[in-house]
Amino acid sequence: SRSEQERQLLESSTLYVGNLSFYTTEEQIHELFGRCGDIKRIVMGLDKVRKTPCGFCFMEYYTRADAEMALRYVNGTRLDDRIVRTDWDVGFKEGRQYGRG
Amino acid sequence: MQRLPLCAEACEEELASTSSLESNLEGLASVLEADLPNYKTKIIRILCECVVKLPEKQAVYTTLVGLLNSKNYNFGGEVRFLADLVNCRVIVAGSLLALFDNFVEVTLEDNIPQVRSDWYVYAVLASLPWVGRELYEKKELEFQKLLVTIDNYISKRQKIHVPALQVWLSDQPHPQEEYLDCLWAQIKNVRSNKWLEKQVSRPYMAFDSVLCEALQHTLPQIIPPSHNEEIMYPLPTVIFRMFDYTDVPEELAIPGSHAIERYLIEEHLSHIINTFHLERKDCAAALLSFTTKNKIPLDYMITEVMFGHLFRLPTSPYLEIMIGSTLIELCKLQPKSMPQLAQATEMLYERLDTMKTPCIERFANWFAYHLSNFQFRWSWEDWSECTQVNPLMPKPKFVSEVLHKCLRLSYHQRIKDSVPESFQDLVPVKPQANYKYEEEGSAQLPGLMTAHQLLEAIRSKCTPEETLVLLKEVPNPLADDTDEPSHHPLRIDVFVSTLLHLGSKSFSHSFAAIAKFHYVLKTLAESEEGQICLLKTMYEVWSTHPQMMVVLTDKLLKTQIVDCSAVANWLFSADMAADFTKNYVWEIMHSTIHKMSKHVEKLQKEAEEARDLLDAHKKKIADGLDYDDDDDVPTEEMVERMEERLELVQNQQKRLFLIIFQRFIIILTDHLARCESESMDYQTPWYKWVIERLQEVFLAHHGLVFRYINTLESLLFTSDIDIHILEEIIEYHRQGS
Repeated sequence: SRSEQERQLLESSTLYVGNLSFYTTEEQIHELFGRCGDIKRIVMGLDKVRKTPCGFCFMEYYTRADAEMALRYVNGTRLDDRIVRTDWDVGFKEGRQYGRG
Repeated sequence: MQRLPLCAEACEEELASTSSLESNLEGLASVLEADLPNYKTKIIRILCECVVKLPEKQAVYTTLVGLLNSKNYNFGGEVRFLADLVNCRVIVAGSLLALFDNFVEVTLEDNIPQVRSDWYVYAVLASLPWVGRELYEKKELEFQKLLVTIDNYISKRQKIHVPALQVWLSDQPHPQEEYLDCLWAQIKNVRSNKWLEKQVSRPYMAFDSVLCEALQHTLPQIIPPSHNEEIMYPLPTVIFRMFDYTDVPEELAIPGSHAIERYLIEEHLSHIINTFHLERKDCAAALLSFTTKNKIPLDYMITEVMFGHLFRLPTSPYLEIMIGSTLIELCKLQPKSMPQLAQATEMLYERLDTMKTPCIERFANWFAYHLSNFQFRWSWEDWSECTQVNPLMPKPKFVSEVLHKCLRLSYHQRIKDSVPESFQDLVPVKPQANYKYEEEGSAQLPGLMTAHQLLEAIRSKCTPEETLVLLKEVPNPLADDTDEPSHHPLRIDVFVSTLLHLGSKSFSHSFAAIAKFHYVLKTLAESEEGQICLLKTMYEVWSTHPQMMVVLTDKLLKTQIVDCSAVANWLFSADMAADFTKNYVWEIMHSTIHKMSKHVEKLQKEAEEARDLLDAHKKKIADGLDYDDDDDVPTEEMVERMEERLELVQNQQKRLFLIIFQRFIIILTDHLARCESESMDYQTPWYKWVIERLQEVFLAHHGLVFRYINTLESLLFTSDIDIHILEEIIEYHRQGS
């Protein structure tokens, strides 16, 4: 439900990261977001058909405080010359990594 | 009641308003006066909040309190501590002086840490720019006495901590002064100027005729609470300086380093950063709308304060990326005047030879991050001299670390193309996995057959157990007839290099491989020797990809395949000698120490909480209060087990520090002995990197090192070690005591 989702967002330590270049690698993302805290997991968004990166990822930190730092200091700055957009996410579930490409 | 929020709002509005400050204040005072009888507590609370949150606007609020006090004597008696209230005729000058005397008297206490007396003296000195003139006019003799006491204190303070906190080893071109020394010099200056300064806004001047008729309050006697072990005082700092008047365009004078205005502006900027550091855009905007921005070289002062925070030792008060992203916002808001950020970078670069290692590292990390936000454009040609000198010198080393960090944020070709041809030697090699069992000339390698079998088996999704069966075929080169070997280097080499090769596509692939074969890795690396061997194999595969080694080591520690002590021993081993001064090695070292500490803290908290729960429960039962079985209460046995576990981990932590310092002493002693036998100067670039890393570990973990100092001293820091290493330790020890 909607209120359930809102609660999850308030407790989440996962970010949705968008507007990435298709060529941007997990390593690069790790380098930038690792400056804000200890990263638990990065799930690269993949094209449904070709299974290649398609410009977004899920970024999970160990703590919400670290995710907040990323939202504060990375959102709106550049990686691979593109302005990175970050937002809270309820948390990654298998299957969600497949975008429309 | 509805008028109340008005107070806070009006205060805020007034700050932004362009109409006369004085008329606003007068209006506000009459509004509040009407509300005073009913909402006194609330008004005082809001005022206190305003003063705490906006200290730079303090004079606005003191004036307001002054005006209210002139109308209603009962009001002001409850707002204390503000020296500025003396200016507004709310508080009697003499009673403020009595408070200051009590503060300064702390300096005469015995057996207290210097940080305590420092703090009280600082509190007095920091308010003198506001109230000095008033005290000088009204209480000259007593004030003079106070200043003499402070002068005595300042002159006899211990300053052994200063060199360790300085960003540069040299006082050229700017001295890096201790914060209290610097403020005292600035206060002496303003005193010789009859306590007149040009920075503080004093709106109460306009109301002098009203205010001087008010009845003034006498502060009650306030005695600082006596010292106890629990009280934490701020640690000392040094004042970071990188500009003087020669660096700044002529029309805007930067206040001299001992001008009180320099202190007031720096304090104010630091306060803005502290208020807005969680919102980088607001932070940049607030910094650029500084009140006296047209009279001072604001951009230079912001830059200096920002870098001062970045380079603060032992640790920066903010995340480094906070400084970096706020500097980017400043560049966006001020594209024309922020080129002096480039000028600042040039200056820092020119002063690299005497910059401390941890600061060089932060500088490189920031610069790479900044470049990645500006298309990696930089006039590298200006620095081409650095390609001609010993690559271990600070400048070429800085450049290669910057390029390495740029590479991590970008990709190899891009970085290679963004620097001139002459810089190619400083560009890191292209990162790629090196799998020796598939390279040309690998035919003679022992274990080759098994490696190829493993490759096939893992690709066709075999189980961990099946790989162990394959590995059984490999003979142990360490085997002899007598002892059971501590580990099996060839098995480890074959398995780990094959596994990492197969997972080499990305971090996630590597992590998945480690997760699937966790059991095998754990079995192979049971002993510390086995773990070190595993880490060496990782290095063989990934030596061109430091970031990969950083995250893999992190993963191996988190999954408890290797221990912290194994990582430390590996980093100090001969195999890592070529990389020993590279930043990534220290990235791994610090993160390893950090993980160990986190682990100890966690277990300590858990054990303490369990013990408290149990004690409380026992007490309840003893008092006959609680008979029902509470599931949350641990048993005595459980608590004891937790405490045993904690002790075990604390011993591991102690051992980790022992290993680190022991290995430092060994490599430094070797170096000194070699230099002596070859009649060489021991002060080589290598020596500088290593000794400053030793200092860094000391300083960054001073709390922990101090806890284990007795063990460390008796085991390591004996008089046999070379005098140069001993100096470091003695200096450190004095700082702690």
